[in-house]
Amino acid sequence: MEERKASKRCGGVLPFFIGFLLSCIIGWAVIPPLFYTEVEQPVRFSHQVHVEGQGMYCDSCHYFRDDGSYAGFPSNEQCAQCHMVDDPEGVMQAIKDKVGDDYEKVLDLSEEEMPEDLTWLVLSGDEEDRKAELEYLVKYAIPGKQVPWINYQYQPDNVFYSHVAHRDISIAELKESEMDLDGVTVTPIEELEDSEQNCDLCHVKGIATNDTPPPFERNIISGYSKMTMKMWQCERCHAQMGQSNACYVCHK
Amino acid sequence: MGFDRRAFIQLITGGTVGILFTPVVWKLLDDVSIWTQNWPWIPTLKYGEKTDRPTVSKICNSGCAVNVRTVAGKAFGTEGNPENPLSRGGICPMCSNGVQLMRSPNRIKTPMVKGADGSHKAVSWDEAMDALTGKLQAAGSSVGFISGDLTGTANEVYSAFVKGAGSDDFFKLPGSNQAASRAWNGLMGGNGQIGYDLPNADLALLVGADAFESWGPTVWNQKAFSDARPMGEKPSCKYVFAGPSQQNTASVCDEWIPLAPEGEAAFMLGVAHSLLQTGMTADASDFNAFKTMVMKDFNPSKVEAAIKVPAASMASAAKQLRAASRPVVIPSGNSVAAHAAAFALNMLLGNLNRKGGMTTVAEFPLVVEGAMTPAETYEKDVVSWFAKGANPDVLITADCNPVYSLPVEVKAGFMVAIATEMNETAAAADLILPAAHPYERFDDLQTPYGVSSAVYTASVPVTDPAFDSMAPADIVLKLADAAGSGLGVESFSEVLMAKAEMIGAEWDDYFGVPSFETEAVAEQNGPSLAARTLAKAAAPVRGTGAVALAPYTMLTVGTDRQATTPNAPCVVSRNQIIGDTMVVMMNSATARKIGVGEGSKVKMAGGTGSAEALVHIYEGVLPGVVAAPFGFGHTVGDEFSKGKGDNVYKILTVTSEAATGASVWNGSTVNVTKL
Repeated sequence: MEERKASKRCGGVLPFFIGFLLSCIIGWAVIPPLFYTEVEQPVRFSHQVHVEGQGMYCDSCHYFRDDGSYAGFPSNEQCAQCHMVDDPEGVMQAIKDKVGDDYEKVLDLSEEEMPEDLTWLVLSGDEEDRKAELEYLVKYAIPGKQVPWINYQYQPDNVFYSHVAHRDISIAELKESEMDLDGVTVTPIEELEDSEQNCDLCHVKGIATNDTPPPFERNIISGYSKMTMKMWQCERCHAQMGQSNACYVCHK
Repeated sequence: MGFDRRAFIQLITGGTVGILFTPVVWKLLDDVSIWTQNWPWIPTLKYGEKTDRPTVSKICNSGCAVNVRTVAGKAFGTEGNPENPLSRGGICPMCSNGVQLMRSPNRIKTPMVKGADGSHKAVSWDEAMDALTGKLQAAGSSVGFISGDLTGTANEVYSAFVKGAGSDDFFKLPGSNQAASRAWNGLMGGNGQIGYDLPNADLALLVGADAFESWGPTVWNQKAFSDARPMGEKPSCKYVFAGPSQQNTASVCDEWIPLAPEGEAAFMLGVAHSLLQTGMTADASDFNAFKTMVMKDFNPSKVEAAIKVPAASMASAAKQLRAASRPVVIPSGNSVAAHAAAFALNMLLGNLNRKGGMTTVAEFPLVVEGAMTPAETYEKDVVSWFAKGANPDVLITADCNPVYSLPVEVKAGFMVAIATEMNETAAAADLILPAAHPYERFDDLQTPYGVSSAVYTASVPVTDPAFDSMAPADIVLKLADAAGSGLGVESFSEVLMAKAEMIGAEWDDYFGVPSFETEAVAEQNGPSLAARTLAKAAAPVRGTGAVALAPYTMLTVGTDRQATTPNAPCVVSRNQIIGDTMVVMMNSATARKIGVGEGSKVKMAGGTGSAEALVHIYEGVLPGVVAAPFGFGHTVGDEFSKGKGDNVYKILTVTSEAATGASVWNGSTVNVTKL
């Protein structure tokens, strides 16, 4: 009897439910974001400037090669079609003449203080855009280094993903088919606009027109992107689309 | 109501149960499982554009025209270049391992000098070049140069550099190329480089030429064979092989005539005897002298007595050659007499510069001032030079391994090895300079010996350099500059562009010259049949050992310049090596005579050395002959070559061929003792 009384004094099972509730709140709302750390792209690349401002198309940079492979991120050689640096050694020397061997310090200067050999290469108008372009020129184009773009949809080497095989999937048809793709696509199908291109199925919605790329969310344990598709997502879509789910389809 | 121990436990229990209803635990387990698959030492793939970049690969002696497969600028594979007539999509076993060799742990990564204790220490390029320049200045004209490149314009740079130093001692490695040039351009007074129109021949007599595994342009030869023998159709060309043992080539030929290596010249003159008897003639000033000499000294019965080939075999070969519409005779080895005899036989058959016959391919003009012509370089006999006691103050070797492959001692006051990989010559060198791999450098390939038309291929670097290396020709150009004998060009790429322009080929900055072919034939000025020389040189000369040595080369095992390549050992058969012991082949009669059997371990003593081997009984070897593979017995190298088998080059018996003066070892013999 004494024991029962003691239990009643502590509110019965209330502490259990409080613990349960707290855990649920922490487990759903607090901890999950802590699994990821935000990493910025190496250069603030504005799709808006290039697509809306310059009238470029997605496949101006992200194109299929003749053999069907996907070019992915553009290389310096592609960027040089507009952002050409004719005499990189000359520009680098001009920068070093100004700031010494620690050549990236030139980015700390105001544009007026920068050597003209560098500033006349800049094509952008807005101050923020000019700053980003200068960063690209100084860090990558002039020293001839490729930009280490971060892939939001990073997949490990043991997965073979072919963009060209998924090129003809239509958002409109997916909507009509009423397939259960809940959680499979990055953005729910019903929230996507019908478009000739279906990039938004797997990539961040509106990435093609954003001004500042969203930060990459890296899992602090696995190193993978938050947006990396899991195998069940691929399998569910394949199954519903009537495609094979045999191992060798993706694991070569 | 208080918060006691019981309440605390209830709270924790609730929290624990609650957390299981959130993604935290499951996400953590998932992430950890992925984390365990991502260790830093796991190699990652390179992603990027895949390209096929045409280039030349000079890992084999003849050189292959290949496409290097790259992804994101990194080479990952090699294939034949279907657009190039030398390859037509084919590739030899050595060049197919080009990428593996480029990334080999055995690559020389930095210049090195030999210290007082005999070990090599890394130095900077500036230090290495300064040291060599000083040595060259002190050496004056006492400079020698050995090139392993048989087809490149680099030889023009090398020979002009040597000439600039006041020396004539520029050499290429000995072989069939040299013997052919000395016979045709020297003895017989002909012009151009000899080729054999195998693709159009209807009868090919291969005298010792293992054309489908090692002799000449093997890929080009194989393509000709393949075209002539379509599956299920009538062959358009008959192949007859005359030689001491049946290797790959002889095994696919229609007929094998067993013939000891020293008997090749006599055999061909025996065949010529039968042809002359039928009234065949040749348009040569010394035809009468040739006919008299052959009729007198090389009647088939005499030849049979000397070389043990039945007279009927020679008569049969002559009959087949005469009956054929487009016959061609192809010699091999380093006997100048054998090559002259073969060329005389071809002239007798009237096939000089005729379809399916022997062609005199026009050589591409020289582009480097002061350079030696190919014929001039082939007149220089490196074995004879060392045998006579040469000991230059400075000896430079480029893309070759003479310490391993020459059957004489290589001596020099200061030896320099320009090489891609560590080998015996590099190990012995006082200074090692890392050579760029063929895929990392500008290079070219001028008509490999044996090809019937003039083909030029030039290449640009197709992949990023793996190490701090330099093209051998660029090294020599820098040396020439430093020595004050500049050759008028700053880089080898300039030389190649000038060459392309001179010959009318279009140079592309990305592709070089992937393929340029002309039908240009060298004009002849009444070549002779070398009657006087053949009278003295064609008689067979055999050493004094108990058994004749018939060395053979297989590209999978290695050549005089290159040890076996990383993927090749898996196709080297038990007829060549078992474990780490080389296998030699002999027929059962020979084995009985010397008292050995299948699997016996033997020691073969010959020349200035000896070699150990296991015996394999094979009836495809001429009686009295032991067939042994070249290419084994490296004391320096990678895990695939070092300590594998024994070096057959060191048991060769070198003699000076009568009348021609050429260093030959076709009469090599060995004494075999059972261990």
